[in-house]
This record gives sequence, C-alpha cells and structure tokens, in this order.
Amino acid sequence: MTDDFILEVRNLKKYFQAGRPGWFSRRENFIHAVDGVNLQLRRGEVVALVGESGCGKSTLALTLMLLEEATEGSIFFEGKDITHAAPKERKAIRQRIQMVFQDPYESLNPTQTIEEIVTEPLIVHGLSLEANQRRQRVVQALEDAGLKPAGDYLHRFPHQLSGGQRQRVVIAGALVLEPHILLADEPVSMLDVSIRAEIINLLADLRRARGISVIFITHDLGTVGYFADRIAVMYLGRIVEIGAMREVLQDPRHPYTQALLSVIPVPNPRLRRKRLILQGETPNPVNLPGGCRFHPRCPLAIEACRHTDPALTPISASHQAACILLQQ
Amino acid sequence: MAIQELELKPAIPASPLTGFWNVFRKNRMAVAGLVMLIVIVIAAVFADALAPYNPRSYEGVQAEDIYKPPSAQHWFGTDDAGKDVFSSFIYGARNSLIVGFFAAFISIFIGGTFGIIAGFYGGWVENFLMRFTDTMLVIPDLPLIVIFVALTEPSLWNIILVIGLLGWTTTARIVRSQTLAVKSRKFVLRARAIGAGNWHIIVHHILPLVMPILVVNAILVISLAILSESTLAFLGLSDPLAISWGQMLNFAFGRGAMSVGAWWALVAPGFGIVWVVLALTLLGNGLEQVLNPRLESHHLMRGRLTVQKEAGETPSRSAFVKTPVVLEVQNLSVEYVNEGKPPARAVENVSFQLHEGEMMGLVGESGCGKTTLMMAVNRLLPSAGQIVGGKVLFNGVDMATASDQELADIRWQGISIIFQGAMNALNPVRTVGDQIAEAIRKHLPVESEAALEARVVELLELVGIAAEHKDHYPHQYSGGMRQRAMIAMALSCSPQVVIADEPTTALDVMIQAQILELLDELRRKLGLAVIFVTHDLGVVAEMCDTVLVMYGGVTAEYADVDTIYNAPRHPYTQELLKAFPDLSNPEKRLSSIPGYPPKLDALPAGCRFAPRCPLAFERCKTELPRLHETGNGHIVSCHLVENQ
Repeated sequence: MTDDFILEVRNLKKYFQAGRPGWFSRRENFIHAVDGVNLQLRRGEVVALVGESGCGKSTLALTLMLLEEATEGSIFFEGKDITHAAPKERKAIRQRIQMVFQDPYESLNPTQTIEEIVTEPLIVHGLSLEANQRRQRVVQALEDAGLKPAGDYLHRFPHQLSGGQRQRVVIAGALVLEPHILLADEPVSMLDVSIRAEIINLLADLRRARGISVIFITHDLGTVGYFADRIAVMYLGRIVEIGAMREVLQDPRHPYTQALLSVIPVPNPRLRRKRLILQGETPNPVNLPGGCRFHPRCPLAIEACRHTDPALTPISASHQAACILLQQ
Repeated sequence: MAIQELELKPAIPASPLTGFWNVFRKNRMAVAGLVMLIVIVIAAVFADALAPYNPRSYEGVQAEDIYKPPSAQHWFGTDDAGKDVFSSFIYGARNSLIVGFFAAFISIFIGGTFGIIAGFYGGWVENFLMRFTDTMLVIPDLPLIVIFVALTEPSLWNIILVIGLLGWTTTARIVRSQTLAVKSRKFVLRARAIGAGNWHIIVHHILPLVMPILVVNAILVISLAILSESTLAFLGLSDPLAISWGQMLNFAFGRGAMSVGAWWALVAPGFGIVWVVLALTLLGNGLEQVLNPRLESHHLMRGRLTVQKEAGETPSRSAFVKTPVVLEVQNLSVEYVNEGKPPARAVENVSFQLHEGEMMGLVGESGCGKTTLMMAVNRLLPSAGQIVGGKVLFNGVDMATASDQELADIRWQGISIIFQGAMNALNPVRTVGDQIAEAIRKHLPVESEAALEARVVELLELVGIAAEHKDHYPHQYSGGMRQRAMIAMALSCSPQVVIADEPTTALDVMIQAQILELLDELRRKLGLAVIFVTHDLGVVAEMCDTVLVMYGGVTAEYADVDTIYNAPRHPYTQELLKAFPDLSNPEKRLSSIPGYPPKLDALPAGCRFAPRCPLAFERCKTELPRLHETGNGHIVSCHLVENQ
C-alpha cells in the first residue's frame, strides 16, 4: 500500500439478490452490479468513470460512499481498510468523501432554505458550533461554489433557483465539510449544455484550488476530456479500459470504448463521420454472458471471445484494456 | 467568477408562512371555514363573559320557565330545568371543542409516530405496526368506545383518552404512505451521504414534507372526535356534570323535549355540531387544495385563437433544400395570458420553411420558446396560450385559423409529434401493439383487424422492434425500445412532418445514437420532414440540414447547418458553440454563457440577448433588432450585422 493513493479499491464486488428463478429452485439469482473492480485514486486526481446505464457505475459510487455494503473485496481510504467500518467510523469517513448527485431538482429538500441546506452537514458532524463561525463557513462554501454574493442566496428556497444554481448549492453542501474526495454522479447530465460547462469548470477550479480528488461518473465521454486526468470505462460491472485521458481519447483500444467515442456528436457538420453504433442495449447483469461480457455486442468478436474472459492488459505504463485481441 | 453579477437579484425573501397565507386567503372555502371556526372558538374561550346566564345555577329559575320558547330574554329558549339554552350552548361549545382538539391531538400523535416509523424503517417494524393498525381498523370503533367508556369513570378526560386512543388508524396509514414517498426521494439519500443519522433525517427531511398531510388530516380528525363525543354523550356515557352539545341533546331527548314540542332544546346543540364539523371540513378541504395544488388547466387543451394582426416584416426566404415546401411558418407570435399581468410574449415573429425530407434543428436553452413554438404549430397550446399573429401553412391550409375538423385531419396524419420524455407516456396496462393500433384506428378508416395488425407489425419493424414484442407491455420494454415505440406511433398515420421534441434527452449516449440513426434512416426512406428540437448542438451538427436558433422567443439565427457552425453571425450562436465540448481539442477550457435566458414576463427592453451578450452596445439595450437577411437565406437578428 502506497500512501500516494487516497482511495484504493481492490476486487470490489456488489451483488443484489434478484429472487429465485423458479418457486422450487434452490439457486438464487444475483444482479452482478459491480463485479470485481480495481481502481486507484491519487491525491488531487480526477478519474472519470464512464459507461452506459446499468454498467454499475452508480452502485460503485454508493458502495464507495459506504451507503451500500460491499459483497466482496475491499476499499482503502488513506491507507486504511474502511470496507466494513463501524457506524461511528463511517460518519467520520463521510465527512471526507462527499457526493454530488445527478438531479439537482430532486436532491435538495424543497422546504429548506439554501442556508439550512448548506449548514446541515456542519450540524450533523458537530462542526463549527459557534453561530458566527458556522455562518462564515457556509458563506465561504457558497462563494467557492460560485454563488456570489452568498448573502443573496442564503434565504432563498431551491425552487427559486435555476438548475445550474441548484447544482452549485449541492456542491457547496459537499464543500462545506472540506472533503478530500468528491464523488460526482452525472452532475451535469440534467443540465442544459450551456450550463454544463460552468459546473465542469467549477469542479476543475476546486480541484486546482483545494487539491480535492474527484471521481466523475458519466455516460458521456464528451464532457470528460476537459476535466479528467484518467478515464475508466465500465461495462457490466467491470472496468474494461483505463488510462490517461489523452491516451484513451486518442487511442482507445477496447472496442467498447471505440464505439462510445464514435457516437459522441461533433459540433461541426463538416466532420460528420461513420459512427460505430452498437445495437441492442447493455444486457441485464443477472445472466452474464460467458467469456468476454462484451462479446454479444462486439463488432470484432472472434470465437475465442465466447470462452475467455480477458483481464486488463497493459498497453503502456499508463493505459490498460481488457480485450483478447490485445493479447494476441 | 463574474458570472453571477448578471443574475437576478433576489426578491424580498419570501418566508414560507407569508407565501402560504397569500395562497390560503385566496381560497374562499378555507377562509370561510377558518372564520366559522374562530367564531365558535372565541365563544368557547370567553363563555364566562358571553353567556347571559350561568348554566349550572338555578338562581332565579321558576317553574314556568321550563321549555319556554325563544324570546328576547332567552334567545334559544329554555330547557327542561328552566335554564337558558343559549348559555348552555356556549358552555357546551367549550367542552365539545376541548374533547375534539385533545382527542385529535392524541390520535395524530400516535398515528403520525406509527406512520413515520413504519414508513421510514420498513421491514419487520413496518409489518408489525401496520398489521396492528389494520387490526385496530377493522374493529368497529363505536361499540369499542362504548364498552371502554362504560368500564371507566364517566369523566371528560376519560372520553378524550378513549376517543384519542382509538381514532389514529387512518392517520397512521396516510402518514406511512407519504413517508414512503418522501423516503425514496434523492435529498434523503443526499442527507445520508452527508453522514446524517436516522433521527436527523426524520426530523429535518421527512417530517417537514409529511406535515402538510398531517395538518389536513388533523382537522378532519378533530371533527370526527367532536362527533364521537356527541354520540357518546347522547348515549349518556359522558360526564353528567360537563355540559357539551351531546349532553344537551341527551338531556333534551330523555326529558321529553320532543313530546312537548320544545324543538329549540334539540336544534341549538345540533346546530353547534353541524357548524363546527362544517367549519372543519371546509378548512380541511381548503387546506388540502392550498397545500397540494394541482394543475388547473390541461397542458394540451386547445388554445384560444385570436389572430389580431398581420405582422409587417417578412424576410424573403430562399430554400436551403430544393424540395417542395410542406410546412411554412410566417411571422408567428404567441402570447400567454396571465391573470392580472400583461400578456407574456413567448414567441415573437418567427418564420421558417420546412421542405420534404428536410431535417431542421430547433435549438436554444430551456425556456427559449422552442416547445411553445412547436405546440403553436400544431395548435396544441395550453389554454392560457394564444396565437396572436402570423400563419402556419401546412400544404396550403393555415393551421392558425383552421377549423377543428381541419385540425383533426392534419394532426397525426399530417404532422405528428414525438414528445419529450415520451417513453413514459405509454399506458402501463395495455400492450404496446394495442396502443399503436388505437392511434391508427382513431385517425384512419380500418378495413379489417388483420390489416390493422399487419400495419402495427410493419410499423414496429420499421423502427427496429421485432414483431413478437407487439403483445408486450411497456414495462417489458427498455427505455430505448419505448422511445422506438413512440416513434412508431408517431409514424402510424404516415405523416409528412414529424416534430421530435428532445427525443433523446433522457437516454444514454449509445441508445441516443441508435435513435438518431433510426430517425435519419426513416427520413430518407419515407421522405419525412423532421423538426428536431434540442439544446444539444452536437446532435444537430450530425443530423440536420437547417438550423433555427431561438432565444427569448425570437429567432436569433436561421441558416443552413454549415453556416451555423462555421460562419455564425449572432453572438448567441457563437457563445453556444463555444460552450460545447470539442473532443478534438480536449485541453481547451470550456466557456459558458454567463446568466440565464430572460423570463418571458420580464423581457429586456432591447435585444433579448443584450444582458448576456459580450458584444452588446448602447443601442442593444433599447432597440429590438430586426431580422436581417445576409444573403442565401441566412437570417440574423443582431444590430451588429446591420453595421457591417
């Protein structure tokens, strides 16, 4: 274990029960939401976790937040195994790992004022109990999240703000605890394109100013280039490709990554190109296909793909992908 | 960041209470109930001062006073003991209300606690509490109360306790279901992620959202408790020394008021009960409406129509696409009428042409009038919206003035719509094939059931759904498949124009790509003209021939797709493009457009984009720019274009 990593995930698995296939069957079905993920996050690093709905990226985030109990594997935070931390410890860890949710319309309590929302984490953790000091931290967090002057917002309610402003409030509510890690679960997918840039730039600034490590979860490879140091592509509960941002974007090696990249719209009609559109949808993670999990949809699949489940293969020092074609 | 300087300064912070009062006082029913309740509460509280006689004292009562009819001395007459009924009525109000309020408090407390705990913790706790509640619910209340009261001392407090302890079951059930709903909302998960414990979440997040329902319920429980008390007292099970309305009825009935024709001795307490129950019911219903406002007008009601004027300015149009025009919108303006406010201009003087096989992108941020424009084209505006100028020509018919019959013919067969979030618009209890068949049957004559079925299969296959999924229900479809089914439904009557309103917004990138590919293929195969409404410029660049950029209800820029992306003239288009991530240059910092689009009821005086425009100058603040044509049909509404 190197102290270099603020968060390390080893062979993490999270299965959910999905009932029995038949009334009298003894075998139980499991949803393999996260199925053996290895991931390291360095201090101040931004890792983008990319994949379609149902690939397990949100479950992975909830498991990292200790909101879901891991089925197998372990999570190390600042060198300490926190996988099965006691409730008291969990609370202390949550102060350091904060989350930003997808839907800013739903993730704020409509009956609370902005001040109450941002103050709440301090109260929960018993921090800054002196009223003046507390107010100061709240104002600071709001201004850091780009809501300036904070005084204009303190007494407003979520419904009086726009989507972008609400997402800033959610971010302020996370920042007020001075976390070391921010888990952002699709923080911009519900926002207009013109506002997405603001939120992404805000996260980039926070990383620079405060050295916060960020895990940025998204289904849209297009928004991550601006922001991530590394990109991890997930498919059916596994990471199929991981590497430095430039390497993955410019030289994707897994066919799934290649397809994801090819369907990102390019804002220039002169650059229209052939898109590699995968047919069908991510199969359900109850009955996983044998061999490589991507082979039923893979345009390059060969016979061997039906039998062999490929492991991540190094392509360069900072780039790995899990595809049989790379091993040959 | 300098972004926020432009944002709206907050209005006076509206406290939730003032906001509540402002809505509440507009609800006549609730106000009437409240006034009625206040009157009776004041009477009860100041009974000592208001009652002309002491109902317990026999001082000055004479034998001939028994059952005297109403007079100036005794407004409600006298009772069997010659005492003043009006005084008893006022004192009776006090006891009836005390029982009502305290019993209701007990019920609400128990029911609320059970409901919240059961809903929040779930599992065996919920099972135990709710089964217990069910058991209590099926035991008939009144006999049980009668038994309990008969077994205990007949005192007011025993009555309160018994009524309170037996009246909580409905509250528990209502509160539990509300708690379940609140618990599943995202802000509760967020609170957990912050590190909050169960108690904190219940107090700060569940309770405030359960409260409105609890309040409404409490008011109805009070009236039930008052009724229960009256029943018990009437049956002679109450404290004989405590005067209540039920007690008055009991005495009057038992002591021959009916036989001597002394109706007043019965009517007065009866009136009191009716008055309070009515007051509480009115207040409860009113509060429910206030706290739980439903939409008053249906979103898709046919809009009123008042074409007031022919707009003056018609920029010449040249075809970007050389096929026949199917849909032409000329100088269309739409207003929303709001009670007591000046009308809001949602769409102002918009013109465009759509050719056969053309795909036009309609682009702009949320709230720029895109959806309103499309609804106006199909005459599907909500009732507050009206077309106030311009024409919508579909194959020569002006939709803006067409009759209902003409509209019915054009809708779906001429122009159909794939709605935003449409994949949630399928009826969950009917098969997808059935719903497509219904759409066809509504608009076209059907020769035979077999032909209809063949058509449904053909449509499903057209959108890439295998025939065997025809008899499946929507929940068996994935999100992408449901969206395909909605496209099949939009195509069911072979329209010439399809309006796709953000058809891929909630979908994953890969499914989005599949749907876009499908739309593109269908347009080539069927010669469809498509209007593609979106805020995503990338998708437009991939798909469209022409682009109309809207801002604040007006056309900002209208041109062919290449011009829009490679030679945009309007600063809004330029800024939108800069805000779009470009993978070919990932290290460039994204720029964003400071501020937000204008509210339609508070449009700036000059150019609507001026407050956010990096190039704005003095004239932009005062004068709305004309639509300028810069050649080849390229239309721009910006003063800068004129200067060049």
